Amino acid sequence: MDFFRRDYLREMFTKPTNLIDTNKGEEYYRNLYRKAKERLDWLKFQKPVRENDLKFEEYISNWDISRRDFFKWVSMMTATLMLPPSFEPLVAEAAEVMNRIPVIWINIQDCDGNTEALIRSSAPTVDELILDYLSIEYQETLMAAAGDQAEKCLEDAVNKYKGQYLLFVEGSIPVKMEYAFTTGRHPETGVQRVRRLAKDAKAVIAVGACASFGGVPAAYPNPTGAVGVMDVVNGVPVVNIPACPANPVNIVGVIMHYILTGNLPELDSLKRPKFAFGYRIHDNCERRAHFDAGEFVEEWGDEGAKNNFCLYKMGCKGPFTFNNCSIVRYNDGTNWPIGVGRGCIGCSEPDFWDKYATERPLAASNIRPPALKGVESTVDKVGLTILTATAIGIGIHAISSAIAGKKESLNKEE
Amino acid sequence: MYKKVPRMTKTMRVFHWINVFSVLTAVITGLYIANPYYQALIAEPAAHKYVMAYNRFFHFIAALLLDIVSVAVAYLYFRSTFDKPIKKLIPNRENLIEFKEVLLNLLTLNRRKNFDSSHSDSFNVVWFTILHLLLVWMLFTGFYLYVQGLESGLSSIGKWWPALLHIVTDWVGWLLGGQAGVRWWHHFSMWIILSWVVFHIYYQVWRTIFWKEGDIAIVFGGYKFKKVK
Repeated sequence: MDFFRRDYLREMFTKPTNLIDTNKGEEYYRNLYRKAKERLDWLKFQKPVRENDLKFEEYISNWDISRRDFFKWVSMMTATLMLPPSFEPLVAEAAEVMNRIPVIWINIQDCDGNTEALIRSSAPTVDELILDYLSIEYQETLMAAAGDQAEKCLEDAVNKYKGQYLLFVEGSIPVKMEYAFTTGRHPETGVQRVRRLAKDAKAVIAVGACASFGGVPAAYPNPTGAVGVMDVVNGVPVVNIPACPANPVNIVGVIMHYILTGNLPELDSLKRPKFAFGYRIHDNCERRAHFDAGEFVEEWGDEGAKNNFCLYKMGCKGPFTFNNCSIVRYNDGTNWPIGVGRGCIGCSEPDFWDKYATERPLAASNIRPPALKGVESTVDKVGLTILTATAIGIGIHAISSAIAGKKESLNKEE
Repeated sequence: MYKKVPRMTKTMRVFHWINVFSVLTAVITGLYIANPYYQALIAEPAAHKYVMAYNRFFHFIAALLLDIVSVAVAYLYFRSTFDKPIKKLIPNRENLIEFKEVLLNLLTLNRRKNFDSSHSDSFNVVWFTILHLLLVWMLFTGFYLYVQGLESGLSSIGKWWPALLHIVTDWVGWLLGGQAGVRWWHHFSMWIILSWVVFHIYYQVWRTIFWKEGDIAIVFGGYKFKKVK
């Protein structure tokens, strides 16, 4: 009997269970490589949006980024985009021709957190450099121009690059109380602004939880009626890069993918790029073993916390949340929420503030999801009430039956 | 003089007890999955103990048994050679009258008994059907939550399985507001099923006591007894 043979056992116990279909076949990648190569050659032939700016090599040396660091970044980006290593030279080239794509970046109802996430790193990173090197024609937080000059920059960019620019939107858009957000000397509401700029854009990229699904401004009771970009823009492709803040790696990844292929990456049902939002946090969590083992942190700072136990009981929403934080982490791979010992709050999921941002599992959370009109923890309370009501009903019936039965037998005896 | 009336075949009784143990297992493990209520105080590295994993495993096995049994029961509703419950579900005059009479029998504390209690009555069949509908509801919400973990699109039995689950259950997420909403309903429906169980057990015991026909024996031996005058 060969049941206990090593090969047989190994085959039996190594089933592919948690693999994403990253290998689309040699044929597919050969075609993609050829297409990307052609596109990059064509882009190289184009003039940079601003010819007087520094060249890419100059940027690299000015920013003190070593050749080795750059190639480390290239490998990381290629892997993030789920492309084979043979694409690395193309990704490096794509970084170089990034200044051929005009970008307009606007902020609506938000805290600028996504911009901050990009620029506030400990040392100049390649992601940050890409942001600087990209021809960002308009970015309220970073641009030097102000007031009328800034407005003129925007108008010029829109007119000059009609139908070519990528529109990045940061922040939710108030639709119920439109005047909650207005900008400029010639006031324009958020809805008007996004619609006007999206009309002439090649694609709209919603950066952060607010721009994607409304985020924190859309939390209950949502006084301004905040919604995501995809709810107000029609006829232009929209990509959502949620999370609070959106991971710079994913922002750059989407741009990279666009430069490489001229297309937007494959999206899921919530318009999030699959390369970044294909897995749950939970699927690649470093503390997953403790989840399966039933080892949970019971309160902050206990023995479990000191031993890096699973944070599920402290309200980690990793099992509900699709994102790649557990792989790429934040701040150049320094750390991420679970790594610092607190749970995920599901910031890349719709309505996360109402539904996920608590420090207990959903079944024990005292929060009120607007869609359900009920306190989470009352599930158990209402359930127990129904159960008690049933039991009481039964009790009454049983007692009255018993009394009635006694009477009946008495009658019979009589 | 009592007559022995066959009420449940061996298959039906096996199904009943599979259901009982599956529901119990699903509730015990499900509450743990929702909010782990006991600690795994075993001095072993995480790799060797599998408390949450086993809870989830038994939860899914229980769900699987419930689903398979439900399919068989649904078939038997229509095609059973012993007793077709569907006959008692058709809202015709006869069934409506029987339903009313059985309900009145319960409400009047057995003062009124104008129906033939030797066969499965319309009231009880409706009650069983409610459970099966609840189980179908649990199946849809449960598989919606389950397929979230198969997001890679692969499973040990092939790509068709997650794909099928997505086609069959994605509407649930749309209806109930994503994973949080579906989880809420899945959890809440557990309480409804528990209430169902409580009444079911009570009613069968009550019948045994008041009808004096040995109803509780149906589920163990398959027979009850009917007085013959």
